[in-house]
Amino acid sequence: MTTKQGKSVGAIAYLVLVVALVLAACTAFAQDPPADGAPAPSTEDADAGAVEPAPPQPAPPPAPPATAAEEAQAWFTGVDVSSGQSPLPNNGPMPLKLLPPGAFEQDRGPSAAIFPPQKLTLRFNHKFHVEQQKLQCKTCHVGAITSESVNDRLTPKGTTCDSCHGTTHDDLSRVTPGSDASGKCNFCHLGYKEGDGNLVAKFDIPRPNMVFNHKKHAVRNINCQQCHGDVQELELATRDQMPRMRGCFGCHQHPDAAARGEAKATCETCHVKGGGQEGGRIKTAFPTGAMQPPRWLHNSQHTPDFVQRHKYVAANDSQFCANCHKEEFCTACHDGRVRPRNIHPNDYLNMHAVEGRLATQKCTSCHREQSFCLGCHQRVGVSMSGPVKDSGRFHPPKSEWSDPPRRPGHHSFEANRNLNACVSCHIERDCVICHGGKGIGGGFNPHSGSFVAGCSTQFKRNPRPCYVCHDPGAAVLQRCK
Amino acid sequence: MSPRRTPSFLLASLVGALAPFVPGAAQALEPEVTSDTSAQFYDVRSPTGETVIARRRLTTTLGVSVYDLHDTPDDPTGPSLSFRARMRYDADYGGTANETNPGNPSGVVPGFERGPVDLMYGYVEGRRYLGGWLGFKVGRQYVVDSLGWWSFDGGQVKITTPLYFAVEAYGGLEQRGGMPLSTPRFEREGIWRGDRTGYDPALYPSFQPNDVAPAYGAALESAGFTWLHGRLTYRRVNNTGASNVSEFANGLRQPVSYSGTRISQERIGYGFDGTLPDIGGVKGGLAYDLYNARFANLYASIDAYASRKLTLSVDYDYYVPTFDADSIWNFFLAMPMNDLGVRASWDATDHLAFSAGARARAFGVQTANENVSSPTAPNGLPDANYFPKSSLDLMGGGNLAARWHFGEGAVGARSNADVAKNGERLGIDLYGERTLETRFVLSARAGVWQWNDKLRTDRDAVSFQYVAGVGYKLWQRSLVFVDFEHDMNRIAGQRFRGMLWLSMAVTK
Repeated sequence: MTTKQGKSVGAIAYLVLVVALVLAACTAFAQDPPADGAPAPSTEDADAGAVEPAPPQPAPPPAPPATAAEEAQAWFTGVDVSSGQSPLPNNGPMPLKLLPPGAFEQDRGPSAAIFPPQKLTLRFNHKFHVEQQKLQCKTCHVGAITSESVNDRLTPKGTTCDSCHGTTHDDLSRVTPGSDASGKCNFCHLGYKEGDGNLVAKFDIPRPNMVFNHKKHAVRNINCQQCHGDVQELELATRDQMPRMRGCFGCHQHPDAAARGEAKATCETCHVKGGGQEGGRIKTAFPTGAMQPPRWLHNSQHTPDFVQRHKYVAANDSQFCANCHKEEFCTACHDGRVRPRNIHPNDYLNMHAVEGRLATQKCTSCHREQSFCLGCHQRVGVSMSGPVKDSGRFHPPKSEWSDPPRRPGHHSFEANRNLNACVSCHIERDCVICHGGKGIGGGFNPHSGSFVAGCSTQFKRNPRPCYVCHDPGAAVLQRCK
Repeated sequence: MSPRRTPSFLLASLVGALAPFVPGAAQALEPEVTSDTSAQFYDVRSPTGETVIARRRLTTTLGVSVYDLHDTPDDPTGPSLSFRARMRYDADYGGTANETNPGNPSGVVPGFERGPVDLMYGYVEGRRYLGGWLGFKVGRQYVVDSLGWWSFDGGQVKITTPLYFAVEAYGGLEQRGGMPLSTPRFEREGIWRGDRTGYDPALYPSFQPNDVAPAYGAALESAGFTWLHGRLTYRRVNNTGASNVSEFANGLRQPVSYSGTRISQERIGYGFDGTLPDIGGVKGGLAYDLYNARFANLYASIDAYASRKLTLSVDYDYYVPTFDADSIWNFFLAMPMNDLGVRASWDATDHLAFSAGARARAFGVQTANENVSSPTAPNGLPDANYFPKSSLDLMGGGNLAARWHFGEGAVGARSNADVAKNGERLGIDLYGERTLETRFVLSARAGVWQWNDKLRTDRDAVSFQYVAGVGYKLWQRSLVFVDFEHDMNRIAGQRFRGMLWLSMAVTK
C-alpha cells in the first residue's frame, strides 16, 4: 500500500469510526424527533379549548362599543356586552401602574419566547367580578395557590362559571346554557352565533416556557398582584399581565450565591434547563422565539452590531454569557477552525492583509499570530524564514521599506503603529538581523527612549529576550543589570 | 499505534470512559453527546500568485457532558456537579508529509500539524456546595475576563459570600502548543514555540522548545447584583526549560540557550458594568501588564437609553501590543492606538432592528528620535531620519447593520468602512436564513467589498461573493448542511469554496 493510499484509508477509517460512535450513541438515546421543541399537548389544554375539535382561529379583534341596537338585544338588562374584550374599556391605553412589577412604560409585553402568544376567545371582566361580585382571585383560579408546575392549567374551567351563570359545563359535548342573558353562550364566547350549536372558538393559553411554582410563592404570602399587577382593575387580563423578569429580580438574585434569604436563585430556578440550539445552561430557543437578554440586564441587548461590541459584556462577566452559551459557541470564533463569514466577509483571504494592517479588528482576539498566522504565511511563502522561497516580495522595495535612513513609507512607521502586524509574519530572527546589538545584528536600536529606565526590572524577571540581541557580557547590557 | 490512528483511538477512549455516565445508569442524570463536523475545500494562493496550497480540511469535535451528577435535578439552589469535555480533530489533508517532517529541513513548517487532536476542555464542575459558598472546577478549562481568553489544566476554587462578593483562585499549567492534546492558541503572543522533537539544534532555532508553564491567578468579583458587576483579576504564568537565544543558524553565532524558570506573563485586569434600567449603562475595563509596566488595554462604553427603542452609545478603546516576556518584541517601540466611537441602535419593531456607528482611531506616531544617547542608526544616519510633525495618525470608519427576524428565519445586512492612510476597506453583506417546516434550512449571503492597499496597490480589488446553503434538521439540535461559496475579483479570479457540515446532539 502506498503512503498516499494509507493516508486515505486512515482518513476513511477515522470518519467511519466517528460516524459509528455517534450513530451508536444516537441509537442508545433513540427518540422520536419532537417538533422542534414544541411541548406535547396536554389533556388540560383540550379541556380548556373547544367543546368539539375546531381549527385554531385567530382571536377576533376587540369589538367596537355596543350600539343601541345591540344593547337592546342584550338579554341581561344592565350588562354591557362590549366589556371584557380588552384590558380597559374601549381598549384604552394601559397605565404602567396596572402592569406587573418590572414592566416599562409602552411595554411590548413579556417575551414571546417565555409566554407564547395567546388566543383569548372569551369575554371576561375581572374588575366587575372582583369589585361588584366581591370574588377573590382564588375563587375562580382555584389551583393557583396550590400549583407547583407551569403544566397546571390555572384558568378556570367552564364549570367554575356554572354556579353564577346558570350554565352546565360538566359535559363539554353537551353544554347547557343558562336561562338568562348571562348564561347564553355568546355572553362569554366571542364570535358565537345562534345556530353554532356546541361549537365555540378555541381558547388557547399555551404553557409558559419556564419553571414556576405558585404554591411556593403563595405560602410566603406573596399575593397575585406582586407578580401579575393590578388585574382587579382590568376587564380582560392578557399576556401583558404575565410577570416581567425585572420584577422577579425584586426578590431573586440571579447568579449563584451563598445564603441570601429564601429567594436565592439561579437561572434554572425560573428558566428551563438544557441546551438550546446554541447550548448553555438554560434552553433559549423555542418555537415562539429565541430568548434574548433585555437591554437593562447588564446592558447586553444583542443588537445587530453586538458581535462588534460583545467584548464589553464578555470581558466583564463571562459567567453571565455562560448562562445561555456553552464554550463551543464562543470558541467557534475565538478558537475556531471555520471562517465566520459575519466577521470575515467576502474574499477575506485576499482582504485580510489590509484589515490586519489597519487593525480594525484585533486579530489576537481569536488568533495567535506566532502560530495560526505564521504557520499559514510560511506555507504560502509570505515570510522571510519559512521553507517556501519562490514567493515574490510582499512589502514595498527594500530601498523604501527597510534601508536607512527612515523616510515616509519606511517599515518603522508601520511597526510603531501596529507591531502585531509584523509579528503575524516575522519571527524574532528576522528583526534581530538588523535590530540586534552590534556583533549579533546591525545595531539599529528598536527601544523606546524610556526603555532604559525600566529595563533592569525586566532583566531580573526574564533576561532571555535581552540575550537574543546582546551578548551577556556586552557593555550596553550592563545598564539594565 | 500509528500516528494516524491516534485521533480515533482517543475519541473512542473518551466515549468509552464516559459510558458509565450515560442514561440507563441513573434516571436523573442529564447526559449529552454532541458532535460538530465540517469539511472545507478551497485553495489558498500566495499574494504573488506562485504558491498555491490546497486546503482540504476536516474538523470534527466530539463533546460529552453529564449534568446533575448529584441526582437532584429539581433543586436548582442545591449543589450541582457536572462533567463536560470536548475533543477536536482538525486535519488538513492538503498538507504534505514534507511539511511536518523535521528530517526534511527544506520543507518542514515548524509547528504545522496535519491532523492535530486537542482536548478543548474537559472538567468537572461543582457549584453551590456548602450552602452556596463553594464552587470549583477541575481539569482543562477556560478563563475569560478582561485579560482575554485563556486555558489551563488545573483547578479553580470560587467562594461566593452572602456579602455580594466572591473570591476565586486557580492554578495549574497553561495550555501550550506542541504538548499532548493541546493547541498554542492560549499562549501569550510573540514566541514561536512548539515541539522540537527531531529537530537539529541549528534548524529554525527561533522555533523555541515547549515546556510546562506553571500558572496561577486570583480574582475578586461582585456577586448577586443584577445591575452591577465588577471583576478584578490577576494572573501569572512562568516559562520553564530551555530557550534558544542565538537564532542565527548561518554561522554568525554558535547556538546558545538560556534555561531557567522565568516569567511569561503577569497581568492585572479589571472589568465592570453598571446599568440603570431607565437611564442607561456604563462598562469599562483595563489590563495592566506588570512585566512591561504599562497598560495594555483600557476600554469604556457608555450607553444612554434615549427612548424605549433607541440607545445611543460612546465607546473608547486604548490598546498597546504586549507579548510573552520571552519575546523580544516587548522591547520594540510600539505606539498606542486610541479609538473613539459613537453608535446608535434602534429597535424599530419587535422584529426589526438597526445599528449604526462611526469611529475614529488615532495611532501614536514618533515625532523625534527616541534614543538620543543610543542613536537609532549606528552608522551616523539618525539626523537623516524623517519624523512627522503630528504625533497622531488618524483613521476613520463606520458600520451599519440591520436585522429583521421572523418566525423561523432572519434577513439582515451588515456594512463596514475603514479609511486610513495605508489602506481602506468598504463593503456590504446581505444575508438570510429560513427554516421551512421546522426541518429544511435555506441560507444565502451576497456581498460586495472593495479594498485598497496603499502599500501594495497591485492588491486592490473589488470583490463580489455569493453563498448558498441548504440543510436538513435531522432532529433537535442536529443538522446536516451544505454550502457553496463563489468569490469573484481580479486577484482570485473565480474561487470556489465548498463546505459540508454535520452537527449532531443526543440528549436524554
